[in-house]
Amino acid sequence: MKKLLALITTFALSTSLIAGEIIVKGSDTMLNLVQRLAEGFGAVRGDVTVSVAGGGSGVGITAITNREVDIANASRAIKSKEISAARAQGVNPVEIVIALDGLAVIVNSKNPVKNLTVQQIGAIYRGEIKNWNEVGGPNKKIVLYGRQPNSGTFVFFREEVVKGEYASYMRQMNGNAQIVDAVKNDEGGIGYVGLGYIRNVEGIRPLAVAKSSQDQYISPLNEADVKSGAYPLTRPLYQYTNGKPKGQVLDFIRFELSPEGQKIVEEEGFVAVTQPYIEKNNKILQ
Amino acid sequence: MSRKSIVLLAVAIFTAALFALDPGQTELEHNGWFRYTNQSSEFKITDPSVSRFSLERGYLRFSYQWAPPFFTKMTVDIFSSDKYPEGATVRLKEAYADIAMPVVRDFNFTAGLQKHYFGLIYSWDYTHPEKSLADDQGICASADYGLTINGYLPSGLGELQLGVYNGEGYKYAGKYVNLSPELLGNVRLTPFPGIALGVSMFTNAADQSHYKNDKKGRTTQSGSTFFMNADTANKNRFALAPMFKLAYGPVSLLGEYINYNYTRFFSYYKINFDSAGAVVDSTLNEKTKKYSFSGLDLVPTVTLAKRTLEIFGRFSLWDRKEEHDNEMQLNKDKSFIRYGAGFNYHFMRREKGKPGLEFQFAWTRTQPKNTELKPTDVLLAQVRFEWSTIINKPEL
Repeated sequence: MKKLLALITTFALSTSLIAGEIIVKGSDTMLNLVQRLAEGFGAVRGDVTVSVAGGGSGVGITAITNREVDIANASRAIKSKEISAARAQGVNPVEIVIALDGLAVIVNSKNPVKNLTVQQIGAIYRGEIKNWNEVGGPNKKIVLYGRQPNSGTFVFFREEVVKGEYASYMRQMNGNAQIVDAVKNDEGGIGYVGLGYIRNVEGIRPLAVAKSSQDQYISPLNEADVKSGAYPLTRPLYQYTNGKPKGQVLDFIRFELSPEGQKIVEEEGFVAVTQPYIEKNNKILQ
Repeated sequence: MSRKSIVLLAVAIFTAALFALDPGQTELEHNGWFRYTNQSSEFKITDPSVSRFSLERGYLRFSYQWAPPFFTKMTVDIFSSDKYPEGATVRLKEAYADIAMPVVRDFNFTAGLQKHYFGLIYSWDYTHPEKSLADDQGICASADYGLTINGYLPSGLGELQLGVYNGEGYKYAGKYVNLSPELLGNVRLTPFPGIALGVSMFTNAADQSHYKNDKKGRTTQSGSTFFMNADTANKNRFALAPMFKLAYGPVSLLGEYINYNYTRFFSYYKINFDSAGAVVDSTLNEKTKKYSFSGLDLVPTVTLAKRTLEIFGRFSLWDRKEEHDNEMQLNKDKSFIRYGAGFNYHFMRREKGKPGLEFQFAWTRTQPKNTELKPTDVLLAQVRFEWSTIINKPEL
């Protein structure tokens, strides 16, 4: 009986599912970023392998609830429903912010439209504006590209921009790369993607976005504006662990938040964490 | 339902799914349970009273999501049945629309044939292949027609359901549904990781018992008096079920206690005939009889090997008391102790883009409280297979 209890306790309290391996799953927006961070960590800690998979923020959060992964990547905050489901399974999801992301709204590079307000983008995605000539563009039908409902980007964009229901004719794509490809090949297309997917990509152009027609239009390519929050579509990128991270998982997260890790974040086109998130993270990682 | 009707229904549904729906996300799912059942007394598995293969469930689900605020689902269950010459029958298990409430975050309004949020029925995921206790003992059905408000409390504190249902369950939607709706409330709290506490309650002024107004009579030995059923109903139904779930690492314990009461009203005509067969008189009589049930159900589970293996146990107690001479007396024949164990092996767990395949094995022994009766052993071996696919509207 004692041996059985010891075995169960070992399973429960193990700092990682498998010694020498950290399993990460979730947000497609964060996939490339965390893979690069994993490579950087591997150079420092050769005894630990970090495997990273996508699937969407919802998939990652389900995986941490089912104890299938050590870290869930999510480009949106965990929902109340998910916290409740995790607690019922004996899992305590703890939130850490590892980077900031500016969500870029992109159009085909042949589209002359350069600026839109958040309200105009929302109206487009609700299906209230259907032609580019309604926003100063050519007489061409607007083709909407977006993500699927299990994506954190889908949820964030709906809550912050659409503020209602997406138009039924929006084409749901599996990931950021697919949206970029679709808009690149569609002169009437519009899509939304993480910042990391638009740098040095030909065939698309990110729009400058203003909070309202009275505000300044700001490009997501301006890192300082994304970092300061001046760019309207900025969001934190999260990682969730079961309880406070320990052992090699803690080491990996500390690396992500280190100057070396944050340099990788910026190289990948995202933004380093700002002071409010640093303070929040420190309370968890101490 | 004839086979021709089933085929026509399937064609209509597929056609609607492909051509009538705007692009959103339409999903088709199938969940089949192929089962071997061996039932015997005192573990005489080579001398069974039941030994058969069957398709215990064959759920076919269509769901459509158009942005998170709107979701609709229909589930039909096509399964083995002796009721039809073709050997299978169809029942409608779910057909509802789920709409996000505009003002209250994380709450939905659900209308239609939907899950009945009572006790462990709500969270029963068939880790143990048999039904939850409330479902098994017919306290209420696992689904019913109704309207509910359901949602999640902030910060992961838990969830809440409030609803009004027919009260007769998903099998009845026509003449057997009476005028009395059922009111149900369910709350689950998850204040800390590893602890879930909840309670469900329903109340229903009356439902139709299985006599269902059938005008069957019987005669006395003298042949001069005839009794004919007028109406029978289970009235003043009330049920309460506190539940809990404890989870620590790979180990969990799910449990509930059920308390259920109703009063059965019998009304019948007593008709006296004379020797020539003419009616002398006819009187309407009523009798009542109180029923009270209490039960306990515990399901411990250990999940191992990266969730591929689940080992479970089950322990249930069920007491049925009936009114005799103004006293509630235990019906020992229909009260029991039940226990058992089993395991599930997941060859694949269903997730996005991947089907699920699972083997389940369970043994259950039911011993009536009347110890003169032999226990019943049931062995189940079951293969569960499930898949889903997104249906895309074809480009025409």
